[in-house]
Amino acid sequence: MAVRSLDAFARMSIGRAFSSGVGLVAGGFLVLLVLVALLAPWIAPFDYAAQNLMNANAAPAWPHLLGTDEFGRDVLSRVIHGARTSLSVSATAIAISMTAGMALGAAAGYFGGFFERAVMTVVDLTWSFPDILIALIFVAIIGPGLTSTTFAIAIAYLAQFTRLTRAQIVRLKRETFIEATINLGAKPTHILLRHLMPNAIAPVIVVGMLAIGDGIVLEATLGFFGLGAQPPTPSWGAMMSSGTAQLFLSPWVIIFPGVAVAVTVIAVNLFGDELIRALDIRDRLRGA
Amino acid sequence: MSNLLEVRDLSKRFTSAGGPFRKARSMHAVNGVTFDLPKGRVIGVVGESGCGKSTLARLILRLIEPSGGGVNFDGDDLLAKTPGQMRKLRARMQMVFQDPYSAIDPRYTLTRAVAEPFEVQGVTPAKPMAEEVADLLEMVGLNPGLATSYPHQISGGQKQRVGIARALALRPSLLVLDEPTASLDVSVQAQIIGLLEDLRAELGLTYLFISHDLSLVKYFCDEILVMYLGRVVEALPDTSAPARHPYTRTLMESTFEPDPKKRRLIAPLEGEVPSPFDLPPGCAFADRCPKASALCRSETPELSADNGHAVACHHPI
Repeated sequence: MAVRSLDAFARMSIGRAFSSGVGLVAGGFLVLLVLVALLAPWIAPFDYAAQNLMNANAAPAWPHLLGTDEFGRDVLSRVIHGARTSLSVSATAIAISMTAGMALGAAAGYFGGFFERAVMTVVDLTWSFPDILIALIFVAIIGPGLTSTTFAIAIAYLAQFTRLTRAQIVRLKRETFIEATINLGAKPTHILLRHLMPNAIAPVIVVGMLAIGDGIVLEATLGFFGLGAQPPTPSWGAMMSSGTAQLFLSPWVIIFPGVAVAVTVIAVNLFGDELIRALDIRDRLRGA
Repeated sequence: MSNLLEVRDLSKRFTSAGGPFRKARSMHAVNGVTFDLPKGRVIGVVGESGCGKSTLARLILRLIEPSGGGVNFDGDDLLAKTPGQMRKLRARMQMVFQDPYSAIDPRYTLTRAVAEPFEVQGVTPAKPMAEEVADLLEMVGLNPGLATSYPHQISGGQKQRVGIARALALRPSLLVLDEPTASLDVSVQAQIIGLLEDLRAELGLTYLFISHDLSLVKYFCDEILVMYLGRVVEALPDTSAPARHPYTRTLMESTFEPDPKKRRLIAPLEGEVPSPFDLPPGCAFADRCPKASALCRSETPELSADNGHAVACHHPI
């Protein structure tokens, strides 16, 4: 019963987010992008790692629609596989960050006192480190690669989710229905899991959705500096990095992954805004 | 008749921590409240907003921890209970809240809200849950067809009825009513009061009725406690007893009379309620009292009973 009503609510809201023109275009693009990422090996016209030095730096033309890079690899295939890397790294990182942030924020907001101050101080500390520095720490510990990138992104956004969840819980805790339920004899776990979390989750999910866009940019940045995906794994950031060398000789190598990042992030943000509107939670996203 | 509830010298002091730029402050929200509530009776607690009525209700149900005093509920010393024992006991002492608009989780259907007491207490009702919920809704005068509605789809009066159904689901013996009609329209108020009267007769309930509306309390209750700034200043043994405390007198004189021939000029109380953080010595009402003397400003009057009618005043009427 509970799950069904929650589902109905979520379905309704997502449906409403798609109902505007902007929401339809942005949301449609994102659905398409996820499909492309999932089906990359079947969609990509060429092997993303196959080199052909005879045909290096070829301009966009049939059969290499987006041209080839300095090793003669097909740029389109690499952008398609790059979507897979970017989306999965960003989504995994945000999922980790959101789960940890919700747990920490909910516990801090619910129990309060010294525990709350300790958690919030540590979480705020992570916010004071630049994202790149966090990534460097992970690279130093476990070496460059997607795992480091994932953890770096997860930690970079931890504070945001923790603070937002805590703010929701603190606000909800004062509602009469919480006191009424305590007075029925409910345990703290019941209050937290059946009342506080379900009412706090909507804005956190929307911020998570928006953070996936930021995570893609951060993943691209780390890839650009060589801290993320290692060759030959295609990543939008790493592709742009290698493209800088031939910026004037073969601009398509840097332009197409750049366009992919830009369009994806714009789509995520536009759809996120539509979701905020559909869920009517704009005021709840402030002050966190 | 035995007492369902015995409240002894119940006090609550709220303190705000001091820091480098502000002084630590404390206030006595509830100060030495003592009374007995016999089974089946209705006691009204009346006073201005901020006098500690709602805090008193929450102290009695131990929703906030008292700073001093004791509460005995049906032979159980509530303050000696562990959290687990307290949760079990709550099934027998329920509360109806002032704000019905936020008293139900907005994501809960009425069915889920009314079934929650059983879920929380781990009680399986005698009848199937759907039937039990329908019966409870019907008992509080709601159409069982509303069971699948969400709180935002029903009116304030209907929400308050749901609040009452939730409170009565586990068949409590004590019901604390914290201004249950204060945020409702007058016509709806009358319906809710009527419903509460019927339920009391039907289920043999004992009520502690908290309100700022003296005429409502006089209509609804058997006994009346008048509170002023955290203290009980007068305990009227019945609703027709004449006021002996000057504050009660002013409260009674400031209620409107429906009969225009009996209408009279209402003399408003002079002065302001003193800040509870900075109470003057002696009687807290002295500054607003026409009968105040030097004694009133130096010594706090104790509640003393005369024929079951207690008053805390140096110069009772």
